[in-house]
Amino acid sequence: MAVSFDYVAKETMANLWRNRVMALAAVLTVAVSLSLVGTALLLRQVVNRQIGQWSSNVSLQVFMNANATPQQLNEVKVLISQEPQITSCSYLNHERSYQQARQVLAGEPTALQALTPAITPTVYRCQLQNANDAPAVASIFTGVPGVFQGHAQYPAQSIRTMQKITNILQVVLLAIAIVLLISSLVLILNAIRMAIFARRREVSVMKLVGATNWFIRIPFMLEGLVQGLIGAIVAAGIVLLSNIGVNYLVRHYLSSSTLPVSQLVVTEVVVVVIGVLVGVIGSTVAVRQFLDV
Amino acid sequence: MITFDNVTKSYITGIDALTGVSLEIDRGEFVFLVGASGSGKTTFLKMLLREETPDSGTIWVAGRDIGRLPPARIPYLRRNLGCVFQDFRLLPNKTVGENVAFALEVIGRPRGVIKTQVTQVLDLVGLGQKIDRRPHELSGGEQQRVAIARAFVNRPLILLADEPTGNLDPATSSGIMKLLERINKTGTTVVMATHDVGIVDEMRRRVIQLEHGHLVRDQARGIYGEASETQSRSISSIAVGAVAGDDEYETGFVERRQVRARRGRR
Repeated sequence: MAVSFDYVAKETMANLWRNRVMALAAVLTVAVSLSLVGTALLLRQVVNRQIGQWSSNVSLQVFMNANATPQQLNEVKVLISQEPQITSCSYLNHERSYQQARQVLAGEPTALQALTPAITPTVYRCQLQNANDAPAVASIFTGVPGVFQGHAQYPAQSIRTMQKITNILQVVLLAIAIVLLISSLVLILNAIRMAIFARRREVSVMKLVGATNWFIRIPFMLEGLVQGLIGAIVAAGIVLLSNIGVNYLVRHYLSSSTLPVSQLVVTEVVVVVIGVLVGVIGSTVAVRQFLDV
Repeated sequence: MITFDNVTKSYITGIDALTGVSLEIDRGEFVFLVGASGSGKTTFLKMLLREETPDSGTIWVAGRDIGRLPPARIPYLRRNLGCVFQDFRLLPNKTVGENVAFALEVIGRPRGVIKTQVTQVLDLVGLGQKIDRRPHELSGGEQQRVAIARAFVNRPLILLADEPTGNLDPATSSGIMKLLERINKTGTTVVMATHDVGIVDEMRRRVIQLEHGHLVRDQARGIYGEASETQSRSISSIAVGAVAGDDEYETGFVERRQVRARRGRR
């Protein structure tokens, strides 16, 4: 079947232009719904990544007494090196420990004033192979001379709460997005239906002179596809912008690394694919229902 | 070229559009299809285009049983059939040239071919000068010429015309008929449904008359005639026509038809 590309492109563009108000409505709805989809996906990636980072950060902190002797420090170090669960360990001396304490106590100026490097306990900060073993490993250090406290640091309860809230947020966003996607599908369907109606004379002549069914259908289907695609591209742009925003927030408030580009690319591809699908499905249904060839 | 074999069609509304119609139209014939409104003429033409399918019976067009044509082949059937209507059915937003070219564009003809064929066919119908006009700038007769050009540009085997002169004055009509005759002379079979007594009587071509879906008359070199009151006269004139006529395809067929028509009257 020789459907010339020229003809199809010309017809599709002419249709879109003739029907531009409807097309614009369809495109905008696709854009809005897909930006929601994209943003929800992005949010999910950021939160999961952040929570992952925090949960893998379960660590064991062995606080030494501020006046622990070098020998006591050494004995603890030996204990640590003998413990197979501990994968790595770093020692924070008075000065570094003090710097960290200042960050922790930033909200409490009085406590901060009382604190000097000399009286800040030094800390062994260790990473564990398995986060669940943290309490058991911590108990090894209780009662060892010079040890003030062995402390397993878990992701706080607040992380769990945050996870729940973002889950709900995601569900809400996706629900809105799905409703909008359905309405954009209906809008595309309607736009194509109007296009078919506007061109009923041409269509009847085409049938009469023996144009094949696909030849008649393709410009309409392509029109739906183009609407979906344009909407998706706009949405992809919005997702890109919101990614910049999210990255800014991540950098400033979570002081962790931003999302890798590959995940952004995946999100954008998903957005474009959904847009094209919505366009194709909408126009296919319209063509099947309203274009009886 | 066209064969109807005992074709029956009724619509869901309960109307019997065609009942047991059998006839044969040869290549290069010029046939008038006459009968009152609702007699089944339009259904007859629609079946040739396979816009409708018979409930029973077989229709052969150009050697193909079109009732058994798979839907995907229907467009290719229609490329062999040109169509002209009372209301012209031109596209108002396209020029004369574009209207004619459209018929070739949508069946995927290459652009060079389209250009030469459009010019040729517009010269044939006498509108070569008006290629860039729009339909609303033309008279009714000119618009119908454009429609004929569009129907004929692909050189179909058969030209179907559904009351092509219905909207035109007698002088213009006779111009259109001359054009259809010319097309017929190129070897194209022409089937024309009409109410125009003057044209049928003047042209003296084969006349097929339908009445309530029944074929009541099939007459070589016929006249428009009248409905059932004059049927016996028509039938006798068929006999005369058949005997006197040099078209041997008529004879046996017409006799069969006469018998059936008489039976129907008793």
